[in-house]
Amino acid sequence: MEQIITTLINGLSAGGTYAMIALGYTMVYGIAKMLNFAHGDVIMVGAYTIFIFFTMLGNPLIGLLIAVVLCMLLGITIERLAYRPLRGASPLAVLITAIGVSYLLQALAQIVFGADIKRPVFFDFGKISVFGLSIAVSTLITLIASAIIMVVLSLFVKYTRTGRAMIAVSEDRGAAELMGISVNKIIVITFAIGSALAAVAGFFMIWKAPSVSPTLGALPGIKAFAAAVIGGIGSLPGAMLGGILMGIVEAFSNSFEFTAPYTDAIVFAVLILILLVRPSGLLGKKRREKV
Amino acid sequence: MKSVFKKALALFCAVCLILTFAACGGKGDKTGAKNDGYTANNTTFKIGVSGPLTGGAAVYGVAVKNSAQMAIDEINAAGGLDGVKFELLAYDDVHDTTKVEANYAAMYEAGMQLSLGCVTSNPCLEFSAFAADDNVFFLTPSASNDDVPAEDNAYQMCFADGNQGKVAADFVNGLGLDKIGIFYKSDDSYSKGIYDQFKANINKGIETVEASFTDANATDFTQQISTLKGCSFIFMPIYYDPAALFMMQAKDDVAANATYYGCDGFDGIESAKGFDINSIPQEVTMLSHFNSKATDGAAADFVKKYTEKFGKETLNQFGASAYDCVYALFNAMKAAKDAGEEIDVTISASDLCEILKDQFQGGFSYSGVTGTNITWDETGYVSKEAVKYVIKAANAADEK
Repeated sequence: MEQIITTLINGLSAGGTYAMIALGYTMVYGIAKMLNFAHGDVIMVGAYTIFIFFTMLGNPLIGLLIAVVLCMLLGITIERLAYRPLRGASPLAVLITAIGVSYLLQALAQIVFGADIKRPVFFDFGKISVFGLSIAVSTLITLIASAIIMVVLSLFVKYTRTGRAMIAVSEDRGAAELMGISVNKIIVITFAIGSALAAVAGFFMIWKAPSVSPTLGALPGIKAFAAAVIGGIGSLPGAMLGGILMGIVEAFSNSFEFTAPYTDAIVFAVLILILLVRPSGLLGKKRREKV
Repeated sequence: MKSVFKKALALFCAVCLILTFAACGGKGDKTGAKNDGYTANNTTFKIGVSGPLTGGAAVYGVAVKNSAQMAIDEINAAGGLDGVKFELLAYDDVHDTTKVEANYAAMYEAGMQLSLGCVTSNPCLEFSAFAADDNVFFLTPSASNDDVPAEDNAYQMCFADGNQGKVAADFVNGLGLDKIGIFYKSDDSYSKGIYDQFKANINKGIETVEASFTDANATDFTQQISTLKGCSFIFMPIYYDPAALFMMQAKDDVAANATYYGCDGFDGIESAKGFDINSIPQEVTMLSHFNSKATDGAAADFVKKYTEKFGKETLNQFGASAYDCVYALFNAMKAAKDAGEEIDVTISASDLCEILKDQFQGGFSYSGVTGTNITWDETGYVSKEAVKYVIKAANAADEK
């Protein structure tokens, strides 16, 4: 029982990080109707920024603030230089461009920082005992912080003018434009928020596992994308649900001897299963095709 | 006018045709004898090696390159092989299998006559396919996968993974433990190879608790640590980067007097970038064929020479093994020459390979830094004794 609860908490904590990344994918898809495969590498840039300022100033939180700002600027720049000129181009062209941006960022990081792994060790709060279980404080903080971020984001989208404009653009871009919403401005804001979330996710990733490398964001990026698809891409609650589900499946698979070697396979098998039953994801919108 | 043009065109075509045949003939003559073309202009014996000189596994490749160069410099200073000197061709593969083909071609075309293969296992499997095609003899210092010496031109100086698993299991069987943990990387041929052999040879009475990971970029080991934290002895047949990460994350969970026991992949862990091994309370040990803390004998001599030249940072068993490889190859060539074989500086890789094969299968033995009376069996596996080596002792309470 104790083992199961520990595993569940580990899974929730990892899932919170996945959810934060998945939100970036799903928001950009919902509003700009494109898959931003460079999203994972924004995490990597954020992680390096935190690492640099942590080594300089000794405080990772200041590094995190700078990383959030820098990643927002990076997201906006990528959108402006690589994606905006292709608005209206075929979805394939945009997809390939996104993959290109991803490799560009990885190669740049390798040139600037080298291929070797950096290991920043942040503050260690140790463990606390909750109901007789000993849990790392960093795990709990990750869990709580991701929950808060998700609530704030949901409220922002629901109750602010900008948030509602975002929903409007995602529902019907043409109509939103006719109503006086600047689509370009909304897309820029979307990229900025997504990239800021990526920086925060990067912080939690390297806090738990001190390892910063140019390919740091690649696999979590793909997994979070899968999480966004599981939840129904384009849907905010879907991305959160998908991310948390993915974290929990991964943790439980890792906890058994006989399934541990196949964790990645199991995670993606779950993706296929869910898509077989619900092709548009758990909370995705069903679209009726008119013939 | 028109017919003149036609005739000129016909003549031109005829000349072209003749030239084409001539070109073919020339080419045919050149490739008639295998690979003569590339070694014909050699003025030194060229030894090729491909290894990670940059990237996460660079500490291995750099050690091999430095040590091989050191051995070659010593041999050359002593007059080489009857006056002919040796030269090292070292190429960077970043421990990436896809880079091996280009590296191999570059070395082969630069006149490589014999080789140390690759430094790490997966690239070396790729390398051995090319080397077998061209019949190039290689003795790898450190690519320990069981399949590396499958072809008759391939030999190992390090223990094969399967052998490491067996030696480790024998060691663990002798400890009298009733429960051990195993942490391995299930999609890596190095790690899985040792793990399989270890499981096959471990006493059935010992309870094993297993945790594993798959992806090279896996960094969060929270769940694996939850599984293993009750074990006081954890066998880790993995490379040191993920091992260091595991230890950093597990230092408060695993008992402070526990032992981490690794294979040759642990070598260099104490100098891993950003990893302070003294912040880990547990004992870190490894199975090896080289003790870098040796105080006498050939190993101590090597340590002294290496640290004087290159410092302590890249001193490890990969380098010691590479140093031995170069000397073993040199001794084998010398023995063959003394026995009357003709070894010219422009000898082709394939001809030299046949000579070396006869030597290594003909009772040749070598004593050096990583063992004495080292011999090779018919597959190419090495036969020598292992030593256990404590990298960092557990933090005793009275030390603080």
